[in-house]
Amino acid sequence: MVIMMCLIKAEGANKQPEERPISYTERIPGTLVKFEMVGVPGGEILMPDPAKKGATKRIKIKPFWIGKTEVTWDEYDVFVFKLDVPEGTSENKDAVSRPSKPYGTVDRGFGHKGYPAINVSYFGAEQYCKWLSAKTGRKYRLPTEAEWEYACRAGMPPPEKDKLAEFAWFWQEKTQPVGKKSPNAWGIYDMLGNVAEWCTDLSGKPVLCGGAFDDMAKTISPTARKYQDESWQANDPQSPKSKWWLSDAPFAGFRVIRVK
Amino acid sequence: MQKKDSISRRGFLKGSAASAVLLTTGAAKIAQGAWAAGSDVMRIGVIGCGGRGTGAAINCIETGLPVKIVALGDLFQDRLDSCFKRLTEDEKLKNNVDISRERCFTGFDNYLKVINAGVDMVILASPPGFRPSHLKAAVEAGKHVFMEKPVAVDAPGVRTVLECGEIAAQKGLGIVAGTQRRHQLSYIETIKRIHEGAIGDIVSGTCYWNQGGLWNHGRKPEWTDMEWQCRNWLYFTWLSGDHIVEQHVHNLDVINWALQAHPVKCVGMGGRQVRTDPAYGHIYDHFCIDYEYPNGVHVMSMCRQIDGCANNVSERVIGTKGWSNCANMIRGEIEWKYEGANPSPYVQENKDLIESIRSGKPLNEAKQIAESCLTAIMGRMSAYTGQEITWEQALNSKEDLMPPKLEFGPLPVAPVAMPGKTPFI
Repeated sequence: MVIMMCLIKAEGANKQPEERPISYTERIPGTLVKFEMVGVPGGEILMPDPAKKGATKRIKIKPFWIGKTEVTWDEYDVFVFKLDVPEGTSENKDAVSRPSKPYGTVDRGFGHKGYPAINVSYFGAEQYCKWLSAKTGRKYRLPTEAEWEYACRAGMPPPEKDKLAEFAWFWQEKTQPVGKKSPNAWGIYDMLGNVAEWCTDLSGKPVLCGGAFDDMAKTISPTARKYQDESWQANDPQSPKSKWWLSDAPFAGFRVIRVK
Repeated sequence: MQKKDSISRRGFLKGSAASAVLLTTGAAKIAQGAWAAGSDVMRIGVIGCGGRGTGAAINCIETGLPVKIVALGDLFQDRLDSCFKRLTEDEKLKNNVDISRERCFTGFDNYLKVINAGVDMVILASPPGFRPSHLKAAVEAGKHVFMEKPVAVDAPGVRTVLECGEIAAQKGLGIVAGTQRRHQLSYIETIKRIHEGAIGDIVSGTCYWNQGGLWNHGRKPEWTDMEWQCRNWLYFTWLSGDHIVEQHVHNLDVINWALQAHPVKCVGMGGRQVRTDPAYGHIYDHFCIDYEYPNGVHVMSMCRQIDGCANNVSERVIGTKGWSNCANMIRGEIEWKYEGANPSPYVQENKDLIESIRSGKPLNEAKQIAESCLTAIMGRMSAYTGQEITWEQALNSKEDLMPPKLEFGPLPVAPVAMPGKTPFI
């Protein structure tokens, strides 16, 4: 597993931040399941330039909202098991397709209610965003790695390694319930650790950001990146392997954003 | 922890005809381990064409080594046909598949026909109850073997596998079992560190396979008892060994590997609490076993197949200086995580086998998988009977679960085992 650590010290917003959108609570229609979206002011971030090795790139960030926590099973189950569709009724045929029944124990027994959804593929996370957008009429999607890192830093230097445990779950045997550690300066929880989160990198490829519960402290940072390889589905005995579930990636989850 | 001496030969009841082969010198027999004269391609036959048999055949092709799948065998025509279709219609597999309809066999004796269809190696993936007899026939015919786990469902079967392992060693034949964690780099590196003392002396362990229910194919009115049972083989002890043997053997195998030993004795309990419909045969839906290893080391094992419960598939060993999940993590005095590559263990196990045969040093996992299966079987014996069972008792058990006749017709389902009443045989 390659962990890309970029050595460039990206800075947070270095101009007067634009106004913060107002945070709000979203309820998934047809259910009692709610989640909170935190407003993030616009600004700029320095990122490694994918086109030029060693060079950096200044990226402008528009104001947006980001999930206060990682997407939990409570939310993802609605999508997987059609909990939003009254029993006995069928969806119209144009509805976003739903995940296959997961093979084996998809939650690994780590915990379910209030725990982040895990073993989720980038495709599954993307489809969830499409489904959620269709359900709510508001456009949700996965963050770009620039948006994600900008929200993770929240205009502050990353926590010192000896303070990391205050903000992040790392070097654990399993995931932990979301929102139990201190939030960052913008009130966002678990950006570092717990589950690494699906983003789209600057060249358009899926990438997991921030490190996870099973990483050691040294690999947890706003610049931590993991790209999928075959080991993430090593024990999926199906042929072809599932496009929805990553049998061997309990560290893979996601959160949603919505651009103003 | 001290390594235990290898299983004593006292366990073998019968000097089978196969044992006579031992009289010929090993060296002269190594030639049998080569493949078809003048060819560098390993010709492979598949015995048992369900999902795992088909999957293992594809994994052999995915090794990138020169292999050809040339023969198929299954009890049922429809299973054979779906495997044939899968292997012959895929562009990516075509170059490594050369199956003619003349080399496709059905019926209870399909395995003998596949073994005699000009193959160098067989994949054994029928229901586990058949494995010992299939392995014996393959080894007697001088074939290399990849066999799915578990490899036996009762002690006579375990004894046959142990014997076959010794004969294979004499003949220079390769045997690898489908306990794929043994071929998964993250496990190999972690266990290596445990053996080097990274967590000190092991004092205890736990292992789990708790998950929901599995597939069931129901029953068609035209099916005889035998056909219904073979098609739903998970749910009959003579075919699967019960789920502690069929599935949980993976975790018990990891524990035996980490501890470099097998249990001395065990006390277990289990039952059939939720999955009570006759469609699910007579097996249990949960077990919990306390295994005692040498030096008083206890390992608590749990397995369950009940929907809507807490899930867990894992192993853990605790030592005097720390602990490990056996899979990729060492915690305690030494803090370490496996960060290397992790290629598919399903491909790797076949690659390791075929490469070992090609290099003239064939792997032989018969003993380790036989011991892991007996570990699971003794747990089942203890739960079924309610008694404490020692390793020697389990190994020498006379309980043979195979039906008297293998033919399609009536086959009563044995009653559900009742602890305290079901006798140890």
